[in-house]
Amino acid sequence: MTVLYEAKNVSKRFTVGSRFSATGKLTLNAVDNVSLSIKAGETLGLVGESGCGKSTLGRCMTRLYEISHGTLVFDGDDISQKSLRQLRPLRAKLQMVFQDPSASLNPRRRVGDLIGEPLRIHAKMNHREIADRVSELLTLVGLSPDHATRFQHEFSGGQRQRIGIARAIAVNPKLIVLDEPVSALDVSVQAQIVNLLADLQEKLNLTYVFIAHDLSVVRQVSTRIAVMYLGSIVEIGNIEDIFAKPAHPYTQALISAVPEPDIKKAGMRSRIILTGDVPSPVNPPSGCRFHPRCPIAQDRCRMERPVLRVHNSKQQAACHFPL
Amino acid sequence: MLEVRDLKVSFHTEQGPARAIDGVSFDVAEGEILGVVGESGSGKTVSLLAVMGLITDPNVVIEGSIKYQGRELVGLPAKEMRKLRGREIAMIFQDPMTALTPVYTIGWQIAEQIRAHNSISAKQAEQRAIDLLAEVNIANPHEAIHRYPHQLSGGMRQRAVIAMALSCNPSLLVADEPTTALDVTVQAQILDLVRKLQKNHKSAVVFITHDMGVIAEIADRVMVMYAGRIVERGNKVALFSNPLHPYTKALLDSIPLLEGERPRRLKSIPGSPPALLNRPKGCAFAPRCANRFEACASVPVLPNAGHDAACFKVNP
Repeated sequence: MTVLYEAKNVSKRFTVGSRFSATGKLTLNAVDNVSLSIKAGETLGLVGESGCGKSTLGRCMTRLYEISHGTLVFDGDDISQKSLRQLRPLRAKLQMVFQDPSASLNPRRRVGDLIGEPLRIHAKMNHREIADRVSELLTLVGLSPDHATRFQHEFSGGQRQRIGIARAIAVNPKLIVLDEPVSALDVSVQAQIVNLLADLQEKLNLTYVFIAHDLSVVRQVSTRIAVMYLGSIVEIGNIEDIFAKPAHPYTQALISAVPEPDIKKAGMRSRIILTGDVPSPVNPPSGCRFHPRCPIAQDRCRMERPVLRVHNSKQQAACHFPL
Repeated sequence: MLEVRDLKVSFHTEQGPARAIDGVSFDVAEGEILGVVGESGSGKTVSLLAVMGLITDPNVVIEGSIKYQGRELVGLPAKEMRKLRGREIAMIFQDPMTALTPVYTIGWQIAEQIRAHNSISAKQAEQRAIDLLAEVNIANPHEAIHRYPHQLSGGMRQRAVIAMALSCNPSLLVADEPTTALDVTVQAQILDLVRKLQKNHKSAVVFITHDMGVIAEIADRVMVMYAGRIVERGNKVALFSNPLHPYTKALLDSIPLLEGERPRRLKSIPGSPPALLNRPKGCAFAPRCANRFEACASVPVLPNAGHDAACFKVNP
């Protein structure tokens, strides 16, 4: 498979606080030297707890945020230095779906206009063509063509997310960054959207970056998975390898902490309960960022920061003492 | 200990009355953890807010009976209810930030709660606050009582709220999605804590959540709600190993698993939960149910057996 997207040594820093606040201006390393590549046709799951930088990385990848450092190569093009004008034609190939569809869809515009807008801008279609394409797209995402004249508040949460997806696929993108696309939805509706995304991927040859905190959903949709902690990738590899035998203690704890709805298995799983909370990214711990919560941390972990290394000739993990 | 009979909660809206809770009956026994599971709008929170006497909107009509240790709570004067709330029945909410005031330290807030219900000195109350914070595993409780809510992480705040809820040794604790806003590793800590505290304090707990996995971890008995009614209830093991109601079955089937073969497609339930003003007549789940037949046009009843479901296929 060919590499469709490559991020090399990407960092994103934010400045928090003001020079008038007690602590002064501080630098927050939301994404800290992350490198990853995405192959055409695959789904890369990006997981981690809140504040780990997964959404920031997703926004950097689509250039919704300006990166502080690094290179982004999309479809053979270096997009990290391109001006907004130069980026425009590429945006059609690189789309995004957001967590909360009621916030990402303009409440004052009709669904037909919302989905038609990218067509007007990128595909330069006329009214007739746009109307036809909108009907086609609405059918494709499981809505009805006459929904085009309605407003977003007339729809349920799941239907709204379908509209957001229709808008993203309107201009035939190659890569879609999905930022928590199902976490705001009810459990019974989540499965519908997960299935819809799988169907569309097959039909339209899409590549996904699937950002989520729900590991069971990520396992269902992804081919590969990257686990993030405090701005860095701690483990990356094929979904089967990582779920069967995680190499990083954080990945292991994260998987074991997911409550199991299968009562027969619930008693059999061993659970690792981490102590403490995720530290502040403004003032991250020394050495391995995970060491204060790690059950197997040693002196070396406090001093030296581990880099991603291939483990068991399968996944890569950033740990001095991989499991 | 708690007996709820035929509870109905209606909101007056411009489009007419909307019945959020439609005839819910359940019991909570001493020392048990009752899990209440349902999707948004299923009425799981509203029914427990009614129990707590926290629905004070004049547009709301509450009918039926709620008996706590034999005492009727529906129609109880606000003053009497306030004596009970916090002391006998305590509640934890989803978002700890809204349960804490940002302008006082958490130590002050816990001590205030203790002194509102017991006549002890400020010094003693502070000592009790420190003990409570230690009990919910907050490191350095002597220092932590002087912190403001914004200085704590989400998990720590939820611990502080739990400490506050436990301050008067309530015999009933209502926890409304206490872990939903937390990360999974912190959720695991809080679930562990709730279980430990429930053992130590011997309180009964009503645990509200939308997460079947959390229910499977923590509850003794489970009650599944859909569109304002209980559709299935029973012992946890019985309900999870042999779900009776088509909704419970479909809900469990639609959750992706962490182990084993991945299906190409997940089993999903068509449609979405009905809107409050637009609930189907008869069985509310019928329009989404694969097994519906003529009988589903009328409302199915929930028989009073141990593990039962409100479904005509299960109880013809």
